[in-house]
Formats: sequence, C-alpha cells, structure tokens
Amino acid sequence: METKSDNYNISFFKPTTELARINRNLTIKLLLIWVIAIFGFQILLRIIEKPTPEPAYIAYKQVWDKIKSENASYEENQVFLKSALSVLGKLSVNTDDKIILDKIVSSVSYKLIPEEKKENFINEVIEFNKIKSEITSLSDNKYVVLKTAITSEAASFLGVKDYSLEAKLIPFELIPENMKRIDIQNNELVEGVMSKYLIHNQSFLTDFKFLSFPFHYFYTAVFLLILFVGICWFYCYKTDKIHEKLGIEA
Amino acid sequence: MKKILLTSMLLSPALVFANSATQLEGSFKVGPAIILICILVLFVLVGIVFRAKDTADFYAAGRGISRVGSGMAIASNWMSAASFLGMAALMYGYGYHGLAYVIGWTGGYVLLLILMAGQIRKYGKYTAADFIGDRYYSQSLRVVGAIVAIFISIAYCVGQFGGIGLMFKWILGIDYAWAVIIGGSVVLTYTLISGMLGVTKNMQIQYIIIIISFLIPLFILTYKFDYFWILPQIGYGALVSDIVTGIPVPEIQNMVNSFGHDFAISPSPEYAMPWDPASGQTFFQFMAIAFSLMIGTAGLPHVIQRFYVVPKSSDARWSVVWGLFFICLLYWSSPVYSAMGEILSTNKEVGKLAKDAIVVYTAQLGNVNPLIVGLLAAGGVSAAFSTVSGLLVAGASAFSHDIYVKVLRPESTPKQQLAMARYGTVLMAIIVSLIALLDLALIGQLVAIAFSLAGCTIFPLFLLGIWWSGSNRAGAKAGLIVGGTVSLIALVYFIAAKQGIMLPAHEFISYWLGAWYFAWIGAPLAIIFNIIVSKMTKETPIEIKKFLVEQVHS
Repeated sequence: METKSDNYNISFFKPTTELARINRNLTIKLLLIWVIAIFGFQILLRIIEKPTPEPAYIAYKQVWDKIKSENASYEENQVFLKSALSVLGKLSVNTDDKIILDKIVSSVSYKLIPEEKKENFINEVIEFNKIKSEITSLSDNKYVVLKTAITSEAASFLGVKDYSLEAKLIPFELIPENMKRIDIQNNELVEGVMSKYLIHNQSFLTDFKFLSFPFHYFYTAVFLLILFVGICWFYCYKTDKIHEKLGIEA
Repeated sequence: MKKILLTSMLLSPALVFANSATQLEGSFKVGPAIILICILVLFVLVGIVFRAKDTADFYAAGRGISRVGSGMAIASNWMSAASFLGMAALMYGYGYHGLAYVIGWTGGYVLLLILMAGQIRKYGKYTAADFIGDRYYSQSLRVVGAIVAIFISIAYCVGQFGGIGLMFKWILGIDYAWAVIIGGSVVLTYTLISGMLGVTKNMQIQYIIIIISFLIPLFILTYKFDYFWILPQIGYGALVSDIVTGIPVPEIQNMVNSFGHDFAISPSPEYAMPWDPASGQTFFQFMAIAFSLMIGTAGLPHVIQRFYVVPKSSDARWSVVWGLFFICLLYWSSPVYSAMGEILSTNKEVGKLAKDAIVVYTAQLGNVNPLIVGLLAAGGVSAAFSTVSGLLVAGASAFSHDIYVKVLRPESTPKQQLAMARYGTVLMAIIVSLIALLDLALIGQLVAIAFSLAGCTIFPLFLLGIWWSGSNRAGAKAGLIVGGTVSLIALVYFIAAKQGIMLPAHEFISYWLGAWYFAWIGAPLAIIFNIIVSKMTKETPIEIKKFLVEQVHS
C-alpha cells in the first residue's frame, strides 16, 4: 500500500516523469531570471547608492553656520533663502516640514528687506494672507495686485527675475509673526528638513540616461514589464513545444 | 505652424472653459455625465445581446473567443480603479516607490502562469473554495476558503468604491460621502442587472473603452508640452529627467497649465530616486510591497477563477500572455500621468490635490478638452465597475455556492440559491460602501491589503496543493491559521491606528507588518507551517495524490 502511495507522490523538486522534469527545469530557469531581474537589480541599486546632495544643499551647508549664529552677510542670506526655497518648491514637502522652513524663510527674508520698506512689506504679507483665505477666484484683483507686489519685492531682495520660481514662491511661504523674531528651536530642525529633501540615493545607474530616462527608472518602469511579457511568452512557447514533442494533448 | 494649428483645434474648447477648469472639482458636469451614462448603457446592451444562455455557457463563456479576446477579458477583469487611478496616485505621492506597485501587479502574472494557470485549469473547479475543499478533503476548509474569498473581495471592493466615489464626486460636483453612496448604488444596480449577461464579450469592450480613454489624453499632453508624443510611454523619459534636474521658468511663457502657471518645477530628484528619504518609504518597504503584490496576484480568487473558464490548459497559458500585455499597456502609461501631474500641479495656487484623482486633474490642468477629460473619468468609472461587478458576484457566489449550497442547505432550490446570491451582493455592497466612506488610505494601498490577504491565505494553499502532494488537511489548516493570524495582527494595528488608538509596539508592527505588505512574512510562514505540520501528520489520501498525478500533472 505504501509503495503504491509513493508512486503517486508529486513534488516540484523530485519530478517522477519526463514532462515534470523538463517543466521543473524550465520553471526554475525562468523564475531565477525573474527573481534576479526584479529583486537583484533593486539590491544592486541599494548596494551601490551613495547619498548625493543637490547643489542647493551644498550651497546651504556653506552658509548655514553663519545663518544660525546670525552673522551671515546679505549674500549669504540670499544663498540660504534660495536653498530653502528650492525645498519649498518641491511637491513632496509635508506640512510639518513646510512650517519649519517657512518660519526661517520668513525671518531671513525680513533681514534682506531694506529698512524703509520693512513695515510696508509686513503689512502687505498680512493683507495677502487674509485675502488668500477669503477669495473665491484666483483672478481677484486685490489678490493679484498684492501677490505681484510681494513677488516683485522678493525678486529684488533675492536677486532674481520677477518670474523666477523662487520669487513666485515667496508670497506663499511668509509667516508675518515669524518675520521679526528668530525661533532658535525651529532653526535646529531645519538641518533635518534640508537633508531629508536635498540628499538623494544616487549612483551611476540613476545618473546614466537611457532613452532620456534615468536608467534605473527606465529599467523598473518600462523594461521589467517587457521582460515579464517576454518570460510569459517564452514559457508558453516552450511548453507547447514540449507537449508537442512528448505527444501530450494541450 | 502645423503643430500650433493642431493644438488650437484640440484645445480651443478648453480655452473657453479655462475659467471653470481652474475650479478642478467644479459643479455638475453635463458632458462627462452623458458619456458615463452612454458607456454604462452600452455595457448593459452588449451584455443583453451576448447574454449567456445557461449557467454552463456563463462559466465557459471564453470557449468561443480567441486567446487575444480572452486576454482582453483578463485585462479588463484586472484593470480596476487601482490600476486606472491608483497607480498614478502612488507615483505622484511617493515617486519611485510607486513603481513597486507597478512591478508587483505585473510580475505576479509570471508566477501565476508558471506555477498555476495550466494546473488550475486541469484541476477543473469553479471557485477557489471548491479547489481548497476538494484538494484538502475538508468541508471546514471549504467554508474558511469561501469566507477568506469574501473578505478579499470586500477589501478589493473598498478601493474600487473609493475610486467610484471620487469620479462621481468629480462628475456630479457633490460631497465624497454622497458620491460613494450614489456611485455604490449605481454599481450595485449595474451588477444586479448585468450579473448573468454576456460577461466575456462585455469585458473585451470594457477593456477597449478603458484603454482608449486612458491613452488619448496622454498623446495630447505629451504633444502639447513638447515631449515625444508618438510613444508617450517612452517619451516621458525626458519628462522624468526634467523633473530631476528642474525646469526653469521660460523667458517666453507659452506653456502653461489651466491656471496660467508656467510649466516649470524646482529640481526634484526625490521623484525618481529610489527609496528617497523625502518619500518616507524605505528599501525594505519597496521590496516587501513588490513581493506581497506578486504572490497576492497568484492568490486572488477572482483572478484564479478566470482560468477555469477556458477550454484547454494551453489556452489558459496563452490568455495570460495576452492579458499581461494588455495590462502592461496601461501600466506603461500610468507613470506618464504622475510625471505630468507633478509639474502641472507644482504651483502653490493649485493647492493640495486628492492624489487618487490625479489622472483626471492632470488632464484638466493640461487644458485637455473637457469632453476628453470626461471620457477619461468615465473610463475610470468603467474600470472600477468592471472589477466591482465581478468581485461582488465572486463574493456572493462564495456565500451562496460554497457556504449556503455546499454546507448549509444542500437541498435548496436554484431559485433560493439565486435569491441568496442577490442578498449576498446587496449586503456586500452595503458593507463596502460603509468602509469606503471612512476614506482609510489611497485606492492602491487599500487594494494592496486584499493582495496581502490573498498572499497569506490562498496562495500557499494553491502553491503547495498543486506542487506537493504531501501537503495535507492538517498542514493546510496550520498554514491558514498562521497566515490568518499574521493578517489579523497587521489589519488590527492598521485599523486601530486609523482610529487614533496606538496599540503596544505600534511603530514596530506598523513598519514590519504594514497593511499593504504583510504577506512578505505571512506567506512564507504559512508555507513553512503547512510543510512542517503535513510532515508530522497523517499523509494525503491516495485518491487525492492519484488525481494530482493523473489529471493535474499529466
């Protein structure tokens, strides 16, 4: 009875028929390709990656100590502001991090405004924030006028064009109550936020371009899907051939 | 010149609606509503024309169609709101991390084909619970299998109802809660009407509508913003690189979104770089999600069920190849929406957008003709409808066929069985609507829960059930208990956290047993326990072994 039962044992790793053996070998080969192509590549990316700072981070690091100790020159404050704005211009910034950066951007911006314009500028920002929460249309005249005025002032103290991304961001980042005072505790959090958004895991696989894609992105988003279809096609083709050879009905 | 003229022709109606487009949600949209109604009526009419003559015809609906047609049916069955809306949302929110879902939901088909498709067809059962009950010669396992299938269907449907709610909210201009209730009612009515109609033919037509509505705006967007529009799935490579390096505001401002904002962005490498700190996602999570979705794909009852209805096992295999190809057409395209949406919504005045509607918002922000945007939204609803109706029927069948008929009332009449199936459908729709109203997570993430659940429970039973005759009833029960326990822990922690309750070791469990990827450990553990307990207990009956050798592996 036991011998009879053993004759009917099925095990992927111990094939008892010619078909099962061929199928096992084909399956193992294709699964190996599948595993290495998917997980092997991601592991490789992980192994060779290096934390790579954006130019904005390098610029920020050069001036950050002076900003913290409030010894920064006008130009150094400009450099810091541009770096912070390059983070705030990112879509991925979460609300908590945005508030941390907004506070320091507000106080640094205030320092750059000429003395005679400071009071007027703060009033404009207060008024803009009030209108922003009330308007129903972005073409509201008062809203547009104030936004343009703040943008224009920001462009002049940042040393950029009116239409630049940095200047356009300023009206949405300033917190009036933080403009005149320095929040030391907040400043300590800035370092974490800056490194979080400005340092990335990069390597030659992410820097190399293929069909204009960063190579790793092309590989994962496009090539792997082609490979999956290819593996499936090959498996079906080979299986049909094997069945034909062994005279097995499909 | 030619390009400008063509752009003007395509976009002139959009310019007329420029003001309303700035209100991305807006009020009731007549055009999209009419398109949606027409599409739903078309589905019902096609179903009536090609209706199944009897139950056997219904189950074997694939026999009269080609492998390509069968592949389209698989793709339509598969492509839900999670694929249509959720995929782009994940990449829009998490950048490269979202690609874990892309490869997870496609790579799983390789496993399904190589390890299961042909064998499942040869086994010759109609539902996953049928297979489990027969292979493990246990009525109680059949019931548990059916209950698990119902849970999976519910989890899968919640994400779909979320998508339907979002699209109805957009089309009707109403609150999300009302949109879910109205959308849920419409999909329930549709399912009850079309439940026994020509399913396979309908699925082919659904696939064509879904893919066309998804692709047309892509060509327009890439053309308008000067990328290689002939093949947007490749052309957006330059767009991804532009996001990484940043696009400065041009001196001459000619490319703007519907708010009039420049097509410009600060350097944002976090969008494309792997497991970027800014995304809040790690390397482990990337790998765990990809793995969980892959094995989940090979364990989903409504996916497995597709292979029972093809005439031959070779047809089952080839239909996977075509099905995967058709699915990939959408998955190659989805990242284009997220990349385009990234740039078009970067300006602060656009505000926070609901990520799950980013596909539609991107088309709107890109000033695509409102009727084409309407078609896109209707495509999203169609994708959700095609999957939901199948899932509701599958869940209700698990209740009426596997539990009511096979266990509770074997003597019930066909009329009583049909009534139970209908009650089951309505009950499931109500439960799913209530959960969808909680708006627990992104569509793609909610659907991923169903995959992990399937990966922890059904996948190990099928894998060992097909490939190792030594796996017996006791082993199956042990594996199911372990897989079920892991699932339960992960889901309890997830739901508790959503309710603001922090259970002990919350951080640890939430990270290592995340709700969308707990199968990374649950499935291997279930398999290991199944093997250990099977080795220690009475071996599989000879009839089962014989059936496996002679029918499944011959």
